Amino acid sequence: MNEQELLVQRFVDNELTDEERLQFFTALDENPALRRQLVNAQLLIAEAAKLPRLAPSARLVEQVTSRLAQAKPGLLGGFWAWWTVPRTLQWSMTGVAVAAVAGLLFAWLVQLVIPRLQPVPLARQVQGEPTVLVRLILLQPEAQSVAVAGDFNGWNPSRTPLQRSGTLWTVTLPLKPGRYQYMFVVDGKQWVTDPLASDESFDGFGAKNAVLDVESL
Amino acid sequence: MGFIRSSSPDEAELVARSRQQDAEAFGLLMQRHAAEILNLAARMVGDRAEAEDIVQETFLSAFKALPTFRSDARFSTWLYRIAVNKCKDWLRAKRPVEIAGNSDGDDASTPEGIEEQTPERVLSQRQVAEQLERAIQRLPPLYREAFVLKHVEGLSYEEMEDILGVNGDTLKMRVYKGRILLCRELAEWKD
Repeated sequence: MNEQELLVQRFVDNELTDEERLQFFTALDENPALRRQLVNAQLLIAEAAKLPRLAPSARLVEQVTSRLAQAKPGLLGGFWAWWTVPRTLQWSMTGVAVAAVAGLLFAWLVQLVIPRLQPVPLARQVQGEPTVLVRLILLQPEAQSVAVAGDFNGWNPSRTPLQRSGTLWTVTLPLKPGRYQYMFVVDGKQWVTDPLASDESFDGFGAKNAVLDVESL
Repeated sequence: MGFIRSSSPDEAELVARSRQQDAEAFGLLMQRHAAEILNLAARMVGDRAEAEDIVQETFLSAFKALPTFRSDARFSTWLYRIAVNKCKDWLRAKRPVEIAGNSDGDDASTPEGIEEQTPERVLSQRQVAEQLERAIQRLPPLYREAFVLKHVEGLSYEEMEDILGVNGDTLKMRVYKGRILLCRELAEWKD
């Protein structure tokens, strides 16, 4: 997103200050392309707001109502409701210390019992298939460094730094067709999901990886 | 738009009764919110019959999960969240590989302009709506849900953050990308 597009975006979202609005209107006056962009965005928004509203059929309401009667939780459902109801956690430093010791002990035992696993690349690698050039872009004007870690580089951000281009950071990767998960790493410590990713996947640790589908050309 | 922005006392009472598994109270809540959920689902999956199934599943799941509903949250937000997840499940199961448009930043950052309307180019509202509905269906799912919630359902970014569990900047970017792709599709259609 360049500066002009960012201005249109912020104008549409009512985020410009009075001063910025004045500057924006001046820019609109001087720049037909910007004017067209704004008109396009506003036309689209107006049309979207006018899309016909669907009304639920009487059959739908009836069906749900009749199924509701059967949906009352039984013993198992009641237990699940009890199990999942949010509770206020009472804790003390003693409890925390005991839990921490127990956790460390468990981790130590796991390390003893389970042999080290060899990392297995998740991405599908097909011999002989041509690679596709994929460009990743991240808008991070404040960052000092940006790298990407994912299935394609063994999740090692030091292997794939992005290059700064104004406020954008970019990298072009030759990838074989397949499905890849990845994250950006900003300033060597902050893991960021790609806001432009067309899909995401839970990583099992409470965050989401960006998902990239590379298709054959 | 139809989003209930605050829980009226009446709604709070219905929610409280529904939490006690009062099916009649929940039926009233359903009548109140079914249209919003149906419209969201229809735009996400592109099929009215499938959307009605998703509405059913949403309300049944909500009814079962009501004991876990936090009364400080908005019921409509909670309901939207369940519906969005149902839609995502449906999309994963039914259309796992369909991705419309290129999500690369550069590609979508140079939108073609829609030509100025002339009397010859003025199309009926219905035609425009049909084309827009089809174009929305071709958006990648994450852009589609963000665009639909923002511009069709008329939610604020704060409400969308609560529903989708995604930060506002990311949502703005998705809405922006969705708009760019839609503008391009509509421009091509008009040409």
